[in-house]
Amino acid sequence: MSHVIARLPEPRLRALEDAYGAAVAAKRRQVLLGGLVLAALVGLSAWAGEVDLAKFFANLWRFPSYIGDIVPTLRLAHLGEDLAEWYWGLGYWLRLMGETLLIAYLGTMLGGLCAISLCFLAAANLSRSARVRWLVRRVLEFCRTVPEIVFALIFVAAFGLGPVPGVLAIAIHTTGALGKLFSEVVENIDMKPVEGVSATGATWLETVRFAVLPQVLSNFASYGLLRFEINVRGAAVMGFVGAGGIGQDLIESIRKFYYSDVSAILLIIIATVMVIDLATERLRHALIGMERRS
Amino acid sequence: MLVLEGVSRRFGAKVAVDKVELTVVPGSFVGVIGRSGAGKSTLLRMINRLVDPSDGRIRCGDVDVTGLRGRELRDWRARCAMIFQQFNLVGRLDVLTNVLMGRLNAAPSAKSLVRLWGVEDKAIALAALEQFDIAGLAAQRADSLSGGQQQRVAIARALAQSPEIILADEPIASLDPRNTRIVMDALQRINRTYGITVICNLHSLELARGYCDRLVGMAAGRVVFDGLPESLTDDVARELYGLEAADVIGEGATSPAAAGWGARSPVAIPA
Amino acid sequence: MSATRTQRFEAEALAGLRGLAARHPSIFRVNWPRRLLSVAIVAVLAGLFVSGFWALGFSFARIAGGLDKLVEFAGFMLPPSPGSYATFLTYLMALAQTLAIAFLGTLTAAILAFPFGFLAAKNVIPNVFLHFSLRRGLDVVRGVDVLIWALIWINVVGLGPFAGILAVATSNFGEFGKLFSEAIEAMNKKAVEGVASTGGGKLHQVRFGLLPQVFPVIVSQVLYYFESNTRSATIIGVVGAGGVGLHLYEQIRMLEWQHVSFLVLMILLTVAVIDFVSGRLRFAIIGNAKIAA
Repeated sequence: MSHVIARLPEPRLRALEDAYGAAVAAKRRQVLLGGLVLAALVGLSAWAGEVDLAKFFANLWRFPSYIGDIVPTLRLAHLGEDLAEWYWGLGYWLRLMGETLLIAYLGTMLGGLCAISLCFLAAANLSRSARVRWLVRRVLEFCRTVPEIVFALIFVAAFGLGPVPGVLAIAIHTTGALGKLFSEVVENIDMKPVEGVSATGATWLETVRFAVLPQVLSNFASYGLLRFEINVRGAAVMGFVGAGGIGQDLIESIRKFYYSDVSAILLIIIATVMVIDLATERLRHALIGMERRS
Repeated sequence: MLVLEGVSRRFGAKVAVDKVELTVVPGSFVGVIGRSGAGKSTLLRMINRLVDPSDGRIRCGDVDVTGLRGRELRDWRARCAMIFQQFNLVGRLDVLTNVLMGRLNAAPSAKSLVRLWGVEDKAIALAALEQFDIAGLAAQRADSLSGGQQQRVAIARALAQSPEIILADEPIASLDPRNTRIVMDALQRINRTYGITVICNLHSLELARGYCDRLVGMAAGRVVFDGLPESLTDDVARELYGLEAADVIGEGATSPAAAGWGARSPVAIPA
Repeated sequence: MSATRTQRFEAEALAGLRGLAARHPSIFRVNWPRRLLSVAIVAVLAGLFVSGFWALGFSFARIAGGLDKLVEFAGFMLPPSPGSYATFLTYLMALAQTLAIAFLGTLTAAILAFPFGFLAAKNVIPNVFLHFSLRRGLDVVRGVDVLIWALIWINVVGLGPFAGILAVATSNFGEFGKLFSEAIEAMNKKAVEGVASTGGGKLHQVRFGLLPQVFPVIVSQVLYYFESNTRSATIIGVVGAGGVGLHLYEQIRMLEWQHVSFLVLMILLTVAVIDFVSGRLRFAIIGNAKIAA
């Protein structure tokens, strides 16, 4: 036999129900309003974005067929030959991938160095001049808001085709992104050592070197590695606008319908990106582990 | 001779230090006493120029401390070393490097930035550590040390500056009774052997009476007492400390009730 | 003056140098292996850095020449101007397209990835094989840049913003699938257990135990990605997938610097507005809690 919960007297029950009902209704109205706004935005965007579902479904078969096209024909009996034919340009592509990695590395290093030298000026706790801080922050904001491809396009016009504009574009974007992160790290440090060192009569540079750098270095390295990972992806498409790396060959093979080349190059890029992801993750965990131990 | 002339400091509407007049004779051991928030900390920080005075002048010999900038300010800071309640060491650097921070002002910047310390600087730093029996810890990371050891490292850093004045801002407030003794003895020894002036903020009246040869009492930013320890009567102390008086007057120098000290909020440093 | 007396400590220390050196030999001995190692590391890093630049064709002449041109371009960029009112309207429309690409792309990806997030979460479907293969699949989708996806979708639906929407949706699908499943895995089990204890089935547990916890986190992540997609949607036009990027590309090609700077200003302004609005929304939804990005 189960117990029956005693019913409240009718008027009190009515009052509670009404209050609950009103609260739920208010929330429903809010959700409904939000839904309407969302629907309106979707409609507007669909119009502006020239969404054509009929065309989409009529042509959707092309997507699997395209994927099918770029997958090479590999026959078990002639696997060696087929692989060799698929990756006919392996050496060349690997060299281009190497160039892509080098672009990412140099861009990250250059941008990281700029970010390190600027972040202390942008940090509220170390920069003494509010005007300098404001200026540095705006510059960093500009550097990370303008997409790196746009910088690359402009630099291609200025420096000519090749990896040079690619490196510079990535470096500028990295300066902006890392500069902001670094200055946030610096703003979160313990200020007591800073006071202690500057009270001995050390210069600003010495204070930063001995009281700030030991506290922030591992975080800087971790963010730098994360950025390197992002920059490898970025460098892979720099070639789309003529700024060096493997992207140039990829866009050409897509545009000229060299199907098997597309998959070959894509696979190289995906594999490299995954290896870099794993490697940087390992390194970052090792860094964090070192931090915990010591 | 360190002279403060009408020195004031305001933080917004709040007056932390109010027209302080003070003359400190070289070689003396001055205790600055008063309750939390009386302006003791701000006063000491102004002498080292970690905080700039809003009004008034600080002079030392023929140097106008209040007007110093750049190189001259750094030289002045090297002459008046600072010791903090929380030690303010760089936890991730080893003990010797922390003490070598006291040599930064004297050593050439280009060399010290890449940690190429001169033999003389190392010798001075080590000798400072030996003074307080912690030379054996030279290679350890500073944050692996106990509070008492860290404060001794901080005093060694101050000594390595070979300063004329040591400003100690509540140096024992985070320590237990045994370490309190060790640290205060260390300050006294420096004062007696090398004639370094010590200006020390203290909360405990008993300690102040025991170690200092002159007491300066502060309340609400003003100097309300200035004289020999013996002339500080319990009545004056009651006035100085108000409700805290019972805590401060009753306690002996050897039993400063560590638990009570830890619970006391640290001196507020207005931002 | 006391100065003479205070120097005494230094003098004593230096006089006792021999003794100090005898007592603490390790401190005075130069640690050559360590010093050489640090010099070697610095040398290798610097060498790689410099030779890298050299290998990629950097030279002082080229940098100097390029900077010269950049300064020249910067001069041409002032004042920013679209030329005519008609062009301005075209740019405005392209900007609207960019926003549409970011908005619809993010929304589609979120809706599609939502069920996948649950499927790929260990605590919802504890199947190691499914978990592993879904996560790796999402990784591959993520590993392909949005510009590459745009090129592929152009082959399907032709040039224009629709391809852009699909590209943003595809690449974000991979990101969201991973993020959502991680968010779900990080959730507190207590609510789920509570629902289970009342006799609720698996679906009930997800609907009433997980969803209310996960929803705000997911919405704020989606908004965060909308911000970042607005940035990437500005450049997706470079490969022909609609939006303001195409104009930017063309104007840079034709060296119409006033147009370029005008377009960049428009982009900066739009990104700032979107950041502001979305930041407000995120704050309203999740409070001031830090959002894993």
